[in-house]
Amino acid sequence: MKTRTFRFKLTIALVAGALTCGAAAAIAQNAGKSLIGKLEGPEVVTDPAKFPKTFKEAPQLAALVKAGKLPPVAERIGQDPLVIKPLHEVGKYGGMWRAGFTGPADFWNGFRCCSGPDHLMFWDYTGDKVVPNLAKGLEMQDGGRAWLIHLRRGMKWSDGKPFTADDFVFWFEDVYQNKDLVPVPSAAMAINGKPGVVEKVDTYTVRFKFPEPYTMFPDVLAGSTDLAGQMQGWRALGGFAPAHYMKQFHPKYVSQAELDRKAKEAKFDSWVRMFLFKNDWALNPELPVLSAWKTVTPINTPTWTLERNPYSIFVDTAGNQLPYIDKVVLTLAENLEVINLRAIAGEYDYASRHMDLGKLPVFLENQKRGNYKVYLDPGDYCDLIIKFNLNYDADPEIGKLFNTADFRRALSLGIDRDQINETFWLGTGTPGSMVPVDTNKYNPGPQYRKLWATYDVKKANEMLDKIGLAKKDAEGYRLRADGKGRLRIEIMTLGGQFVQYTQISEMIREQWKKIGIDLTVQEVERSLALQRTANNEQQLAAWNNDGSEHLFTFPVHVFPFVLADVATSGPLYVKWFHSAGAQGKEPEPRMKELMEKWKKAFGVSEKERIQLGKDIWRIEAEEVYIIGVVGQGPASMGVRVVKTNLGNIPSRMYNSPDGKTPGISRPVTFYWKN
Amino acid sequence: MLAYIGRRALLAVFTVWAISVLSFVIIQLPPGDYVSSYIAQMASMGSVVSDEEAQNLRIQYGLGQPIYVQYWKWMKQIAEGNFGFSMEWRRPVTEVIGERLWLTVVVAVAALLLTWVLALPIGIYSAVRQYSLGDYLATFIGFIGLAVPNFLLALVLLYLGFTLFDAHIGGLFSPELQDAPWSLARAWDLCKHLPIPALILGLAGTAQQIRIMRANLLDELRRPYVVTARSKGLSEPRVIVKYPVRMALNPFASTIGYTLPFIVSGSIIVSLVLGLPTVGPLLLRALISQDMFLAGTIVLLLGVMTVIGTLISDILLVWIDPRIRLEDT
Repeated sequence: MKTRTFRFKLTIALVAGALTCGAAAAIAQNAGKSLIGKLEGPEVVTDPAKFPKTFKEAPQLAALVKAGKLPPVAERIGQDPLVIKPLHEVGKYGGMWRAGFTGPADFWNGFRCCSGPDHLMFWDYTGDKVVPNLAKGLEMQDGGRAWLIHLRRGMKWSDGKPFTADDFVFWFEDVYQNKDLVPVPSAAMAINGKPGVVEKVDTYTVRFKFPEPYTMFPDVLAGSTDLAGQMQGWRALGGFAPAHYMKQFHPKYVSQAELDRKAKEAKFDSWVRMFLFKNDWALNPELPVLSAWKTVTPINTPTWTLERNPYSIFVDTAGNQLPYIDKVVLTLAENLEVINLRAIAGEYDYASRHMDLGKLPVFLENQKRGNYKVYLDPGDYCDLIIKFNLNYDADPEIGKLFNTADFRRALSLGIDRDQINETFWLGTGTPGSMVPVDTNKYNPGPQYRKLWATYDVKKANEMLDKIGLAKKDAEGYRLRADGKGRLRIEIMTLGGQFVQYTQISEMIREQWKKIGIDLTVQEVERSLALQRTANNEQQLAAWNNDGSEHLFTFPVHVFPFVLADVATSGPLYVKWFHSAGAQGKEPEPRMKELMEKWKKAFGVSEKERIQLGKDIWRIEAEEVYIIGVVGQGPASMGVRVVKTNLGNIPSRMYNSPDGKTPGISRPVTFYWKN
Repeated sequence: MLAYIGRRALLAVFTVWAISVLSFVIIQLPPGDYVSSYIAQMASMGSVVSDEEAQNLRIQYGLGQPIYVQYWKWMKQIAEGNFGFSMEWRRPVTEVIGERLWLTVVVAVAALLLTWVLALPIGIYSAVRQYSLGDYLATFIGFIGLAVPNFLLALVLLYLGFTLFDAHIGGLFSPELQDAPWSLARAWDLCKHLPIPALILGLAGTAQQIRIMRANLLDELRRPYVVTARSKGLSEPRVIVKYPVRMALNPFASTIGYTLPFIVSGSIIVSLVLGLPTVGPLLLRALISQDMFLAGTIVLLLGVMTVIGTLISDILLVWIDPRIRLEDT
């Protein structure tokens, strides 16, 4: 009798539990879709006729002007303001923006939220078009061999000194060409391997000259590349640097002995380390900047504070000097759980970095209490990809299989993407191949989303049977063709990332049992991953493909492009690509074709480039060098938690590393409504 | 007595040196170096480090040199009072550790004090009222504290604090007073935030000490001299406290040595979860990113603390227990 009652109660409890979970999941999924808004954002006004004629400033700056400590606002801005039309309305000054960061390695956090953004050119809010930013305009000359950058007249650094062409020349001649500071030249400053030069035309005009047409130059300036402005200062790159300030740390202007003494006094190992430190936007509060907010307490302290730059070039359509918000305060939380918990508790005013999609239900539950609203910003790229190492040779049989297209295709067909999407993305992602979203200009066509990316166990089994893996052992796993027993392959994953690679790989392991493939999941620590990939020891690897929607500025996870990477498609191909055939191994024809097209795109017209981009993605989708699993999800920095009384917040933002989200939505226009 | 201390001190110096060598070597053991961990970190953030740049960084940080060269360089710097430059924090190591070190000591001492304040009376009560309800209850709670992983406890308490008391999540200070200069208000704020971290850190140790105290006291209470004292009419509290408790305190004194560094290192995960600005999370990060001067200095510091702590407990033991004094010197 007792057992029966107990079992009855247990069943009821379990059913109730399952229903609740199911309901919660359903709520989360439906809520998920409803949290994705419409893409919108502030626009940059380029018509000088529409520029405001008079300017206003924040009250504390006005007080300083009155006290004679600052020049008047019109003088600080100059004749060519950067006018931004706020998304919803003109805002009010005041307030503080609180957020969290995870330590000195988290500088991208500051670049994304608070740099302005401060590239010379930048993307509009759709992520598609390049618009003027710190530069007034860009002019192409000589068929793309020369680019004139028009600076803004009267524009000043944050300490009041003028920002002119001299800052570019200083950077090019004294910094970029100094072998101690920059031992290897940047690929962004060259076209087809041939380097370019920087010349001064007049005070407010600079020319970048290249030996061949470099039609992608505007995109390179807009993207997060080596010419992206002061965010690259700590690597001695960026395109320009505050000459009047950095000269005191440079051996051309100060004697070497004096410089060494200064470095030793400040406890640096060498003048090079001191120079790079002083040129670091996040580390040096004394560095003159052009961004909207300026570092006041640096990133290597428990609180990273940024305050408004009184010489900010950004203004709104009514003439108010931006930003509206006075101060940004980032507090240190070394653990991701703590950051998420603080966001849930409503301690952050705007947070999207480090927010865990898996905690979405808890975020939603606490919205009212924390006075915030949750938004989801799916990326345009594939959230989860699995790379085949095409150069793997430690085991020739496996290496051969990796290079057999049908093997890769069959494995792709053996993945139940819907199940993965439901479990890990709460249904908010799009299962499919690795091609970017349909609206991306390089997308080869809607049919490529599902090409080799459906769940077809029957077809997968047929294909694997045909390539010589028809024999199976007693447990149903396929045997190797060379008679050495069961076919075992290994996937390498990293823990503690935005996407749960290890857990997802475990799920794929279960799924691949049905097609007879024995997969081992190996989670490693980051440095070990790097070592493995560089030594060609990795077989499969899971990673994400963010950035690839900007195929030409961020090809890292599209084809083998960089040696130092946590997941590789072929380290020998990387060497071949960068040495123009001198080292490494020559890729198979289709991969070679892909690489050739990529290189070509930098010097051709926009129309031709788009076609080349489409071809590249088409080859990727057909050859399945990389398996795409779930894409266009908000797992990577796509969960946005914003206080309800912050104004000018878009309902959906373009989520991309190139777009420095939220930078692409011009956070200078965010303001406190009350 | 002096010779005893002198001998111990000499051994201590030698031990510290051995620790420095070991810690430096072990930190270098994982594959790669700071630059490779840095590259991996960049990759996680969607940023790419070109191979040339990686090379460049290695040259700049002097990571290409053989390990004994780097070790010697470090030792030379320490002699000058410079503990090296932290690559991750881009500040001198002394600056990075300095502000956290004494906060770590404060938290550790608070945890230690709480442990003793809880463990001693409960242990004594458990022994004197053996097998009573109070004894069982105390034991039960103690064992729960021992069995539950303390970071889990920390997370649960954090969440409860937030949902029930609207408390600020983690950290040792309220946001307003975080970077403020020292004042009475800030000190009081620190005291307000200390109980939870101290409790969590101390709970596991508390269980241990309760059981030890209880066992030792039980042994002592059965001795003939206790019976004699009682029969001579001494009041019960005096009987228990005057000699038996003093005897049972022996293990407390001898464990001071490693308790302090144990709390510091054992608190790494809890500090991480609670967001405490102590040395623990710093060490964890430094080890993961192979920031060798920072990691090496912290491990060296912990080693020195252990050695000094052991020295102190040796001296304390000699002072408390005359029997040791007589047999050694």
